[in-house]
Amino acid sequence: MNELIRGTDFVILVYFLVLNSFYALLLVLSIPEIWEQTRLADDEDFQRLMQSDALPPITILVPAHNEQRTIEASVTAILALHYRNYEVVVVNDGSKDETLEALRHAFDLYEIPRTYPETIPTKPLRALYRSRKRTKLTVLDKENGGKADSLNAAINASRFPLVIAVDADTLIEADALLRLTRPFLLGRQIAAVGGTVRVANGCVVKDGIVTEARVPRGFLAGVQVAEYLRAFMFGRLGWNRLGGNLIISGAFGLFRKDHLLAVGGYDATSTVEDLDLVVRLHRYLRRHKIRYEIPFIPDPVAWTEVPESLRVLGRQRERWQRGLVAAMWQYRGMLFNPRYGRVGLIAVPFYTFGEMVAPLVEVFGYAITVVGLSLGVVNVPFALLFVLVAWGYAMLLSLWAVVLEEVSFRRYGRFGDLARLVLFATLENFGYRQCAVWWRLRAFLSVWRRKHVWGVMTRKGFDPVTK
Amino acid sequence: MTGRHFLAIVAVVQGILLAALLMLIVLNRWFRLRRRARVHPRRVAVEGVMQRWALGQAALGVVLVQLARLPISLAVDALVTWSARVPGERWRQLAVALEREWWARIIRSNSRSGRWWKRLECARFLSIAATAGDTARVLKLLHDSHPAVHIAAVATLERLQSPALATAALERLPSLAPTVGAYYAAMLRRSRAVVVQLLLAKLRRTDDPALPRLAEFAARLREPVLREPLTALAEHRDAEVRVQVARGLGSFPHAASLAALTQLVADALWPVRAQAARSLGMLADPASLPRLRALLRDPDWWVRLRAGLALTRFGAAGRNALLEADVGPDPNARNMAHLVLGLSPQALAEFAA
Repeated sequence: MNELIRGTDFVILVYFLVLNSFYALLLVLSIPEIWEQTRLADDEDFQRLMQSDALPPITILVPAHNEQRTIEASVTAILALHYRNYEVVVVNDGSKDETLEALRHAFDLYEIPRTYPETIPTKPLRALYRSRKRTKLTVLDKENGGKADSLNAAINASRFPLVIAVDADTLIEADALLRLTRPFLLGRQIAAVGGTVRVANGCVVKDGIVTEARVPRGFLAGVQVAEYLRAFMFGRLGWNRLGGNLIISGAFGLFRKDHLLAVGGYDATSTVEDLDLVVRLHRYLRRHKIRYEIPFIPDPVAWTEVPESLRVLGRQRERWQRGLVAAMWQYRGMLFNPRYGRVGLIAVPFYTFGEMVAPLVEVFGYAITVVGLSLGVVNVPFALLFVLVAWGYAMLLSLWAVVLEEVSFRRYGRFGDLARLVLFATLENFGYRQCAVWWRLRAFLSVWRRKHVWGVMTRKGFDPVTK
Repeated sequence: MTGRHFLAIVAVVQGILLAALLMLIVLNRWFRLRRRARVHPRRVAVEGVMQRWALGQAALGVVLVQLARLPISLAVDALVTWSARVPGERWRQLAVALEREWWARIIRSNSRSGRWWKRLECARFLSIAATAGDTARVLKLLHDSHPAVHIAAVATLERLQSPALATAALERLPSLAPTVGAYYAAMLRRSRAVVVQLLLAKLRRTDDPALPRLAEFAARLREPVLREPLTALAEHRDAEVRVQVARGLGSFPHAASLAALTQLVADALWPVRAQAARSLGMLADPASLPRLRALLRDPDWWVRLRAGLALTRFGAAGRNALLEADVGPDPNARNMAHLVLGLSPQALAEFAA
C-alpha cells in the first residue's frame, strides 16, 4: 500500500512537472509573439486601410436566443463598427422571449424572399428580414436548433468570403474587425483568426460600446478577468508559435467561408462548437495538404458578460469541459498522429492529457495525499511544499498574463483596477480553482450519463441604447 | 538533494519571481506614466503647429523644430496622421525639407536594417515623405521579405510618381494573396499612365500564368484603351481569365464588348456565364434582352439569379420579361422571376454593388 501511494505520488509529480514545463514553454513563446503583434498593431495606418478597397468583405454572424434585453445594444454596436464592407446576419433561433420583436422595433424590419441556396442543412427558416434603417442588416427567424444550427443558417445567408461569429451578448470594439483582418492583409494563408475576448462586467458601457475598461469588484467576475487574460494573453499567443491554436473563441473569430463550407459548418450536436469546428478545420486542411495558419492576434477586442453566480458559472464550465471531452474523444484519431503535424503531435495531446485530464489528476492527487498523510506515508512538510509550489506556479502564470497586458495594451488605466487585477490573479488559486476543478469533474459524469444540455445563461445585460 | 530540498528551492525561486513580477508591473506603469507626462505636451505642440502650418499661419521651420522634439516613432505617427489632411504641394515642401533633418536621415538609413520593425518604420515614413531620391530605397523595401514592410512601402505610390516603382509593384501584384493584391492595385491606380502602358504589353502575353490577376486589375482600371486586349481574351483557355473578362467587360460599353459577352454567356462553366449575365445587365443593351431571358432557364441557380437581376436594369422591357417568366412554363425561370420581382429596390441596389 505504502509503495502504491509513493508510486502514485511520483507519477503525479512527474505529470505536474511535464505540464508546468509546457506552460513555461508557452509563456516563453508568448514573449516574442506579443512583441511582434504589438509592433504591428502600433504601426498600422488605419485611415489608409479604411480608404482602400483591399479590405476583404466580411459577414458578421450573430446567433440570438432569448436575448431581448441585450440584442438592440449588441446589434447597434456591431453596426457602428469601423469597417468599410460588411454585413450583419442576426439569427433569431426560435427565441421564446421578444428578441425578434425587439429587433423588428429597433431596426424597422421588412420581410424579403430567400435568395440563396441552403448549402448547410439547418432547422426550417420561418422568415428572412431586411432593415429599412440599416442596409447592412439581415435578420433570419428560424426554428430553434441551437447556436451551431443558427450559425450554419447565417453562413448559408452570408454573401461574403469571410465570416465572423459573434455572440449577441458580445460587444466588439469599433476597430476590432479592421485589426482582425491584419493577417489577411499581410498575405498569410489564413484559415481562421481569433481575437481577444475580455470581461465586460464592471466596465462602463455606453450605446453598446465599452468606453472605460474596469475590473469588477466582485470576486467571481474579477477572478474571471484574470483567467481570461491568462487564457488569451499567453496561452493562445504561445500556441501561435507552436502552430496549433485549437480554439478560436466562438464569441469572436474570423473564418474563411469556403473552408467552413468544406467541413460542413458548425456541428449542431457539439456542446462546444468553436473547439469542434477548429479541430475539424485542422483535420480537413491537413488531410488535404492545404497550407494554412490559424493564428490568434491580441489587439482586436470583444467584450463579453461573464456569469456572476456560482451556479451559472458552474454550468458554463461544465459544458466547456464536456465539449472538450467529447471533441478529444471524437478526434482521437489525431492524437500523436504525425499526419496532422504539430496539431496531432503537440496540440491534441496537450488538450487531451493537459487540459482534459488535469482535473481528474488534481483531485486524485488531493485524495492520495490525504490518504498518504493519514497513513503517515507522505511527509507533511513535503506535501505542504508541493501544494505551495503548485499554487505559486499558477500565480506566476496569472501574474505573467498581467505583465503581458501591462507592457502591451494596458486597457485598465486606473491604478485601482490594476491593483484589483493583481489581487484577483493572486487569489484565483484559493477557492475558485478548486470550484473549477469540481465543475470540470462533474462534466465527466455528464459525459458518462450522455447528458447533452447547454443550460440557461442568466445575463444582466448592458445599458440600453441612448437614442 | 532530497525532493523536499528541491521543492523548497523551487518555492524560494517562485517567491522571488512573484515579487519581481509585481515590481515589474508597478515600475512599468510608473515609467509609462512619466514618459507620457514628458511626451504628451510635445505631441500637443506638434498638433498645434501642424494645424497652423496647414492653414498657412506658421512657417515650415517651426514644424521641423517641433517634430524633432518628438521621439522618432511618434514623429512618424504624427506625419502619417497629418499627411492625409495637408494638400499635395504643401506636403511636398515638407517632404523636401525633411530630407535635411537628422532624425529623418536616421529613419532613411534604416531601410538597410536587419530588424524588420526598423525597416517598417522607414517604409511608413517614406510612404508619406519620399522624394525622387528615395526611389532605390523604396524599391528595396518593395521586395522586403516581411509583408508589413513591403505593404507599407507600396503606399509610396500614392505620393511619388515613379515608373520604376510602379513597374516593380505591378510585377509583384499577380503573386500576392488576394487581399494584398487588392491593396497593391489600389495604390497602382495612382500611377495610371505608367500602369496602363505596362498592362497593354502584359495582357498580350496569353501564356502568362498571372493573366487572371492582370485581367482583373485591368478591368478595375476601366481605362478605354484596355478594352481591346481584354476583349481579345474572351476565348482564352483558362476559365479564370474568362471569368475576369466576363466581369470586366461590363465596364466597357462597346459593340465589341457586347459581342464578346454574347459569346461568354454560352460558356460551358457557370461562373463565366454568371459574370457575363451580370455584365450584360450593366451594359443594358436592348439587343441582349433575349439572351438574358434564355439565361433564366439556365441549369445553374446563380446564373439564373444574375440573369434575373440583369433584367431589372432594362427598365420596362426587362420587367415585362420577368413578368412573362413568372407565369411561363419553365419552373426554374418562374421561381427566379418570382424571387427577383419580390426584391425591394434597396435589395436590388445591394446586389448590383
